[in-house]
Amino acid sequence: MKYILITNNDSLLNSSYKNINVVYKNCSYIEVLLRVRAYIHKGHTILTHPLSSSLKPNETPFKSILISGSSKGATDAFSVDIIEQAIEAYKKFPQSNKSLNQKIIDDFKLVDKTVIESAILNNL
Amino acid sequence: MKLELGYINVKGVKFATENKFENGIVYVDELALKELLLKDSSLEDCNFDVAYPGESVRITPVKDVIEPRLKVEGPGGIFPGVISKLETVGSGKTHVLRGMAIVTAGKIVGFQEGIIDMSGPGADYTPFSQLINLVVVCKPAPMVEAHDYEEAVRLAGLKAANFVAEIAKDAVPDEVMAYETKGLIDSINEYPNLPRVAYVQMLQSQGLLHDTYVYGVDAKKIVPTILYPTEIFDGAIISGNCVSACDKNTTYHHQNNPVVTDLYAQHGKTINFVGVIITNENVYLADKVRSSDWTAKLAEFLQVDGVIISQEGFGNPDTDLILNCKKIEQKGIKTVIITDEYAGQDGKSQSLADADVLANAVVTGGNANQVITLPSMDKVIGTLKYVDKIAGSHAGSLADDGTIIAEIQVITGATNELGFNKLSAR
Repeated sequence: MKYILITNNDSLLNSSYKNINVVYKNCSYIEVLLRVRAYIHKGHTILTHPLSSSLKPNETPFKSILISGSSKGATDAFSVDIIEQAIEAYKKFPQSNKSLNQKIIDDFKLVDKTVIESAILNNL
Repeated sequence: MKLELGYINVKGVKFATENKFENGIVYVDELALKELLLKDSSLEDCNFDVAYPGESVRITPVKDVIEPRLKVEGPGGIFPGVISKLETVGSGKTHVLRGMAIVTAGKIVGFQEGIIDMSGPGADYTPFSQLINLVVVCKPAPMVEAHDYEEAVRLAGLKAANFVAEIAKDAVPDEVMAYETKGLIDSINEYPNLPRVAYVQMLQSQGLLHDTYVYGVDAKKIVPTILYPTEIFDGAIISGNCVSACDKNTTYHHQNNPVVTDLYAQHGKTINFVGVIITNENVYLADKVRSSDWTAKLAEFLQVDGVIISQEGFGNPDTDLILNCKKIEQKGIKTVIITDEYAGQDGKSQSLADADVLANAVVTGGNANQVITLPSMDKVIGTLKYVDKIAGSHAGSLADDGTIIAEIQVITGATNELGFNKLSAR
């Protein structure tokens, strides 16, 4: 596959995107960032901004990030900068203790999906 | 391009059985307005209320704020390509109902945000507490999908604004201001010795609840381009952005963009203000590279000496801001950036999610993580149901008595990145 979509948003599993391998794991927002960082360290390039949407990292539980499907070999410095800055930004927000009902969870998933699709559908 | 803005001072808004404007009071035929808005099948119902400065009223969740304006002379109409027919605006005469606004409120999604307090400590953080607000609270038709409902509420606000503006069509303005931007060569010839300055306005463009429209075009799909500043006064740019209440630009912010008015105030005195470059804040990183390349290219093409760059939103656009700043500086053009900060509740954290040594002139709209206590209000327009679900709040943010303890990012316009706010440092 040409691209990998790292996500903890299961609503993306129902969609089929051309050339994209959707790698889903039921995990936290920060774990998505850390998993993307691991790929970047292996030579993958980040393609969408990890702080996409204006929803704050302690507000929405969902995050989807598109990266290149294959490794370039060398680590991409721009990708490292972007993901490290996002991880730093995440840390400065106090962790949320909000209880979210199913409707709100679904809305957060919807926004995450439409934001990542704004990149996928317009560019790939 | 020359535009005259005729300001009509509004002293009150009242519901009535017929539309009229008398002694500064706008009388609104409530049923006619309701009938107009409910033509949209995505809306099941809508209700209206009026909130005055100083009242014990809380409006939440706020979607958009819009100033009623009416084109009285010259081509096109307000909100071209959206409500009015598609025609280039920004010239002729436009009337402005100053001192009032249309506020659209109501849930779009379950974490819908934005608070306007008309009195108390929260009122100091939002410019909209100083206006007479005609609030439109919408209710979706059953089974309407979120995108369609967002669009319906967005359009309802714009339609209501144009409906109200029409009421005062025969009024004589209390004050008239003229703004003019000439073609580039004429402008340079007129003020050959003044430094040329352009304004780079970044528009939120990420997806559902994060969009901006230019002449009706989704800003995600534009490449950077040039506008006459006066086009913005006539509603060429509208907000479809509902997220990040403190630093989203409402349509009112666009209509009254203070960067544009302040640059005009200095035009011909200390600077030569040559125009506006608009650009976007897309999620796809290649789009960011392309848009910042083009923005820098246009700034270079205009042969400006300096630019002001304003941002909209949090996180993702920090990267666009720094890319724009860096690439324009590398063309030998000085930049000043306007942003806001998420520096943690103690203000000690890194403010932005990106940085560069060339971003050495920064104006901040304030720290969105600053905590504030908003005492309860006698009346709520909208609902408090979502208050402890929104950004900057936490479980327990909303006390039983209606008091809210939260970060100022819950307040509409609190850290606006056009500088349209009242925060300052001492």
